[in-house]
Amino acid sequence: MTDRSLEGVSLAVSSRLPFREIALCAGALAALYFLPSFLTGYWLRVLISVAALVVASLSVSVLFAQLGMVSLAQFGLLGVGGWFALRISHGMGAPFELALLTGGAAAALVGLVVGLPALRMRGLYLAIITLMMAGAIQVLISAFGFPDGGAGILGKSTGARVMMARPFLAQGDPAYFRYAVVIAALCYLLVLAHVRGRPGRAWAMIRRGEVCALAGGVHIVAYKVWAFALAGFLAGIAGGLLAGGVGQLDGSAFPASQSIMLFALTIVGGAYSSFGPIIAGLLLRAFPALLNELHVDGNIATMVFGVGLLHALMTAPQGIAGQLGDAFRAVGKFFKGNGGTAA
Amino acid sequence: MNSRSAFLAIIVGTLVAGLTGTAYAADSKCGANTGKPATGEPIVIGGIVSVTGPDNFSSSGLAAAAYFQCLNANGGVNGRPVKYLLEDDAWNPEQSSQVAAKLIRDQKAVVLVGNMSFVDCGANQGLYEKEDIMVVAGVGVPRDCFFQKNYAPTNAGPRVSNTKAVMDVAQSYPGKIKRLVCIAPNIPNVGEWSCTGAVAWIKKQGGDGKIIAFDPGSLDATSIILEAMAFKPDVISVGTPKGMAVPIFAAAEEQGLADKVHFTGPASLYNLDFPRAIGKYWDGKVTVDMELKAADAGTPDMQNWLAVMEKYGKASDPRDTFSQAGYLAARVTAETMLKLDPIRIDRQSVTAALRNVKRFESDMFCSPWYIGDGPRHNANHAGPVSLVKDGKLIPKPACIESEDPELDDVHVYEKVIGLAK
Amino acid sequence: MPDFTPFLVSGLALAATYVLSAVGIVVLYRASGVVNFAQGAVGALAAFISWSIVERGGPESLSWLVGVAVATIVSLAYGRLIATRLVSTDPITRAVATLSFALILLGFMGYLWGEAPRRLRLPTDTMSFELLGVRVTLTRAIAFGLGVSVTAVVMLFLSHSRMGLQMRALASNRELSAMLGVRVFRIDGWAWVISGVLAGVSGVLLADLQRLSGQALTFAVIPAIAAAVIGRFASLPATVAGALAIGVCEALLTPVPVIGPFRSATPFIFAVGAMLWMQRKPVFVYR
Repeated sequence: MTDRSLEGVSLAVSSRLPFREIALCAGALAALYFLPSFLTGYWLRVLISVAALVVASLSVSVLFAQLGMVSLAQFGLLGVGGWFALRISHGMGAPFELALLTGGAAAALVGLVVGLPALRMRGLYLAIITLMMAGAIQVLISAFGFPDGGAGILGKSTGARVMMARPFLAQGDPAYFRYAVVIAALCYLLVLAHVRGRPGRAWAMIRRGEVCALAGGVHIVAYKVWAFALAGFLAGIAGGLLAGGVGQLDGSAFPASQSIMLFALTIVGGAYSSFGPIIAGLLLRAFPALLNELHVDGNIATMVFGVGLLHALMTAPQGIAGQLGDAFRAVGKFFKGNGGTAA
Repeated sequence: MNSRSAFLAIIVGTLVAGLTGTAYAADSKCGANTGKPATGEPIVIGGIVSVTGPDNFSSSGLAAAAYFQCLNANGGVNGRPVKYLLEDDAWNPEQSSQVAAKLIRDQKAVVLVGNMSFVDCGANQGLYEKEDIMVVAGVGVPRDCFFQKNYAPTNAGPRVSNTKAVMDVAQSYPGKIKRLVCIAPNIPNVGEWSCTGAVAWIKKQGGDGKIIAFDPGSLDATSIILEAMAFKPDVISVGTPKGMAVPIFAAAEEQGLADKVHFTGPASLYNLDFPRAIGKYWDGKVTVDMELKAADAGTPDMQNWLAVMEKYGKASDPRDTFSQAGYLAARVTAETMLKLDPIRIDRQSVTAALRNVKRFESDMFCSPWYIGDGPRHNANHAGPVSLVKDGKLIPKPACIESEDPELDDVHVYEKVIGLAK
Repeated sequence: MPDFTPFLVSGLALAATYVLSAVGIVVLYRASGVVNFAQGAVGALAAFISWSIVERGGPESLSWLVGVAVATIVSLAYGRLIATRLVSTDPITRAVATLSFALILLGFMGYLWGEAPRRLRLPTDTMSFELLGVRVTLTRAIAFGLGVSVTAVVMLFLSHSRMGLQMRALASNRELSAMLGVRVFRIDGWAWVISGVLAGVSGVLLADLQRLSGQALTFAVIPAIAAAVIGRFASLPATVAGALAIGVCEALLTPVPVIGPFRSATPFIFAVGAMLWMQRKPVFVYR
């Protein structure tokens, strides 16, 4: 894919804080704080899933936007992260935060394992090898199942199932939604810190030209591995959030096809924009939920999804976020143009 | 929903109804049976089924819907109609938790009836206990459905069913059944769990058993059959959903095993399409366990179920054992609510009343059913076994009581409430 | 020490499945540069239509012809209407587009036929022979033979015929080929037709050998891609050999104590191993 990461970046270096962006984000967070009181129980749960999938989509877009690498294994890594989070939560009675971090760390490690063979590959081959990894993870998860309170590493409960304990601060659904949004915001900040820091610059050099990066003294393997680890960590966090949201995870919910869907919808949402993962999360969970609310037959919903995805792939290479961005810019130009002539 | 065959079925159904239906239509009895439609404030009842996905698991909810419509046409619950909301969870635990929140928190359902889902029991256990709402399920499948305080299925469950199937084969061929292979999908709380009862039972009889858990996504039925045969079994139980069972039976047919080993399966195979799907080769060679009595028993409650489905259900609604289970779930809930003061029907009173159901009889059951206030509910553990013959499932007359060791605590509770034999 | 010989035969039987699917994938990739995730779904459609015709009492041979014809038409329609619009995008977008197509077909089949226990039967099911103590139906032997013979035919076609040459040229560089006078749309269309026929035939056979289920047949394409990977998406004989190796290994692992339950990961392990082997020399990308 042609590297579009630098389009829209202003040439003038600015050391001012981006006040407008910070104000927008603060406003959005405040709005999200008050959102639960307007939502039905159904939509509250849907948006909890959306928040988790926003983090998942973020993991895909980090690899894609920063390094141009396609990973079709991220949803499998969600499963891995969720597995470890559940195991720690049930097995050690650990608080939710610890379980979440452990899930993230475990998924980061597995992400590393996924990334190592892929380091030398690019394009379609990279995509295919990550797809194969996703297939292998799917078999493992199916065979082991998810922890449900049984003893030991692989133990299964012989009586009632144990649900994952929610965070101390966020037991009920509205509180958990706010918690999930905060976690998602923290993940965004983590990615931002990376992008604006040393790793981001190294990734940018690798993306523009590996030979130049090597000549510039960038340790290519290390930074690629770092990117895979970060993406794995984010996917693991998303898995933990999902596990806490529902209370359990289902072994059949992490097939390789879901990883492809995650990637596809991240592209459709817009991999190069910050809004992209949010749109992808909404498309992955809110849109099917809307169709189910309207009692559209599930098979029809699958068809609508396929048609929409196809249409998006054909008409919007920048993703929906790109289209929205274009629309905003057009509107802004319209007003500025008028203002200009009027003045 | 199968629209093409629905169209055909409507035509056929109308013809059949024209010939025999008049007898049915007059016979549907529901609730107080006043014959007058209910007009009061609706009582909201919910149901969660799995429609879209690997299989269409909804006949239980559809039967409950039909019963409630019949109830509303016959005076409802002391004048109040039932508003039955059926939701699809598409085999997805996230979606299941979403629709459960919708039914319980948004729609303020007082009880859930006719549930039929692989994922509902696990995903919503916390919510059901937190909101203290009872679920009178049509069909429970995973272990979680039979180990909850608030979940009471009218069916027996795959573990109990599998044990009964194997017991029946052992009884039919006394002294010859010593080695069992149980084939199940590798979902731990569904597949393997459903086989452990049968294996435990045969070991208690001095035999030996092996569980083969396979990946449902794999395409290699022949290897599964070869692995089973390597154990040299006398009986093979195919403890899988009916769609997955067909390739396994096909592979066994390819190896010509029908005369070498006895084949059987739990109630998940009890479906009217199943004999045709596995073909004439298996005629008279496969037994399938039933959780309830056969649809053509001709007994009063059975006829009533058929009449209710005829008049208030759609022609495309399957008339299978799960439909029977949904009808029973709806009937017990309606009759319990009829005993309450209609003004004071809310979640608390309905939950308390349902927990007080210590004896519910129907000629569809082999023994009386109950809910009770115990920590778990598995009241249905006896039923007949059927034989695949002439493209149909022909039930054997006797009811078999399952001797699954895991039911010991259930038997203890039944002694306490006075139901034990 | 468990007896492995019967599993050798069941492995060959499984390999027949993988060979059939993988060959179709590689053929289309060589002819149009698209990894076709919809191959299984198109095949499933052919199988369902074939089954429906027999259910309604139609003649069997007609049912197969109609099924394969529908698969071909659907495949050609996709190739002409949608794939041509995506020609200038990168291979991943085109592959994901075929996945969307697979979803549309999956939803369509689920709506129309739903999931119910069904069996697609072919007349060759009743004829069988014994190999190393395991019975193998003629259908399986045909599937195997078909996979191998299609490979040979397509290889000859691509290397010795004019149209085959043009297809390879088109997959290699579309603009240059157009400039050289290759009739792009027509050749492209033929590539999708061949893919459709292969998908239809393999769909009917697989529905007989495995399961007549939209979901199962559609997602069986992922292990098939593993076999295609071993052939580097280019060499058909290597793909067949890879599919054979995967099938036999997977089945042979069945009686092995600890690893047995995980044997369905074999295609993926093989594919990753093959890719690592292929990429063992470091390659720099010059931009």
